[in-house]
Amino acid sequence: MKQHYRILQFAVIFGISAAFIGMSLGTDVYERVHEGIVEVLCLGCLKLDPKTSTTYTFETANNQSHSPFVLDNISEGIVFLHFSEDACPGCDIMLPIIQDIVSLSFDKNDMVSEQISFNNQTISYFYINIDHATEIRSDALEIYDKRQIKGLPMFTIISLGYDKGIIRPSYTSLYGTLGLDSDHARQEYIEIVIEEAITIWEENRPGYIP
Amino acid sequence: MKFQLKRLIAQILIFVSANLGSIGIKTGFCYPFFYCNSCPTATSACPLRALEVGVFQQNYKWKIFVFPLLILGFFGIVSGRAVCGWACPIGLLQRGTGKIARKIKNKPLVRTFASHPLEGKFRYIKYFVLVGFVLLTTALIGFMFTDICPIGFLTGTIPTLILYPGEYVFNPYFITALLIFILFIVLIFLIERGWCRYFCPIGALLAPFNKISYLHVGRVEEKTFQEECLHCNACSNICPMGIDVTKLYRDPECVLCGKCVTVCPKNLIEFRRD
Repeated sequence: MKQHYRILQFAVIFGISAAFIGMSLGTDVYERVHEGIVEVLCLGCLKLDPKTSTTYTFETANNQSHSPFVLDNISEGIVFLHFSEDACPGCDIMLPIIQDIVSLSFDKNDMVSEQISFNNQTISYFYINIDHATEIRSDALEIYDKRQIKGLPMFTIISLGYDKGIIRPSYTSLYGTLGLDSDHARQEYIEIVIEEAITIWEENRPGYIP
Repeated sequence: MKFQLKRLIAQILIFVSANLGSIGIKTGFCYPFFYCNSCPTATSACPLRALEVGVFQQNYKWKIFVFPLLILGFFGIVSGRAVCGWACPIGLLQRGTGKIARKIKNKPLVRTFASHPLEGKFRYIKYFVLVGFVLLTTALIGFMFTDICPIGFLTGTIPTLILYPGEYVFNPYFITALLIFILFIVLIFLIERGWCRYFCPIGALLAPFNKISYLHVGRVEEKTFQEECLHCNACSNICPMGIDVTKLYRDPECVLCGKCVTVCPKNLIEFRRD
């Protein structure tokens, strides 16, 4: 009896080990845990938001060039990137606020890229859920992660700025629930940032050479 | 080298390995114990976070759900809850606070609670936390456990505030999480391994494995035990999990710390492989 029990124990150990090795090597689960949980910071889970700063910068966070879909659209107006993931309490708080600002309705698993009108100005809005987005869109998270924390949700507003004699894209990124207590305050804050970005864009657009 | 010193060294080494993110080592594995992946120095993912992502709002991702279960299952079938006693950083923390808890365990209030018939029933709370808070509410509503997790607060929020002073502000979950964290601290100072006994959902996942694990702590042969036991109760008195060790047989609460093994004057408790 004891012998049978021992055999059963080792069979279970072997089975679990084989399943674990099979999953690690044969599926993308290791990458998904690595990229989606370990590397990405869930700000809601942390119960903290990075201090909000709207300082614009020209240098991308990982020193790569700007995303092609940003460069394709920056001539038309400012670009608004909204980064999110499936399991993220902060993202759930911010989603309806942003939907209200951009006047769009969509599911949080959707991929959205729309040109919308905001105060009679065109904004290219991209909703990027990193669990579902294409690689080129998801990669933008690292490019525009100004604080280099990979914290979600993240909102990037790309405008045009004057840098040592040339006009080129400049951006700022906001994180989490912006450190504000009410939905109204959050919406108002983002709208102000967008309005400022539009003003800067309008000032610099004439000198921008795509 | 003393047995308990070996265990302490193991706990410290595993704590260090859980924080290799500080030198850039970040993996796609899940810890087999409780530690927050939001910690700036975390090496791997919290298994509960992976489970939650796997069921979040019924958007099932079976691979992410099964992955931590396989890791915990492996350690569970090999050594039961030994992970709690030998590896978990929260176990290491409670090892420190346990010294105070042991000193006050004979105070009337604590003693009344510890000897209350319902005390044993309270140990089922951790299964409720696992099924109810970690899985069901996450599947049906959204995060509830993560938002208030005291271990996340201890190993994620506090280190972030210390390492990046002035760079973060509190979000809507902070105050609730802080209150729960204070209760957690009070608990572990009042009751030795109080978190492991009553609330730890990872302990709840590992506990059933004690019934079938290859390695476990148990009494020697029944006849020898009955003949030689001095009934000194030293084993039960030293047990950090409050188990009646004289009746120990594959108890789901045992964390295999081995304190009863080393304290027994007649060597009637042993690590067993069967």
